[in-house]
Amino acid sequence: MTDFKALLRTLSESGVEFILVGGVAATVHGSTRLTIDVDAVYRRTTENIDRLVLALTPYHPYLRGAPPGLPFRWDAATVKRGLNFTLTTDIGDLDLLGEILGGGAYEALVTSTVTIRVFGIDCRCLTLDKLIELKRAAGRPKDFEAIAELEAIRQQERPR
Amino acid sequence: MTQAGPSSIDAVIETYRAGLDTSLIRRNLERSIEERLELLMQLQEFAAELRRAGRAAPDG
Repeated sequence: MTDFKALLRTLSESGVEFILVGGVAATVHGSTRLTIDVDAVYRRTTENIDRLVLALTPYHPYLRGAPPGLPFRWDAATVKRGLNFTLTTDIGDLDLLGEILGGGAYEALVTSTVTIRVFGIDCRCLTLDKLIELKRAAGRPKDFEAIAELEAIRQQERPR
Repeated sequence: MTQAGPSSIDAVIETYRAGLDTSLIRRNLERSIEERLELLMQLQEFAAELRRAGRAAPDG
């Protein structure tokens, strides 16, 4: 099980700059759909990567679904060489994204975020409008049902 | 080759939308963000328990 509270607290208290996207962002906005991981776009500055690495190290991040024993090392050099990481940790599954399709990197997305306060933590979350826009742009059939729900939520919150 | 235009995607989304249970959405919107995330964790636990039960079933 993914401990959303622990994951968000770990990232936030370590000063990691990140934006909640994906299923958890949809939940924040009212989606009833089940999601089992946290998707977060992280800022790819040297300082932020260092904070990210330090924050997660105690929770033993490893590539999700990969066979055990691979020479995967969770350190700043690995994060700098890569971009998007689907990880499993002791406190749950975490997708760390350097960029997202159609939305770009942290800097491009940060203007389309809202700051939410949850579990006593302030964190950035993609706006409902941006979430819908990105899912529509991605055009993945698996997202169509989620888009329908998000648009219904938008209509409930902002009736015409 | 024909490409699916936005209108066909809209039609699919609209079909899904017609089948949505909006009462569930309304109830969820009455919850705080924290309550929604707590509920999500409970659902995960429930789903894991169901999977365990399925595996343990004689013909599972």
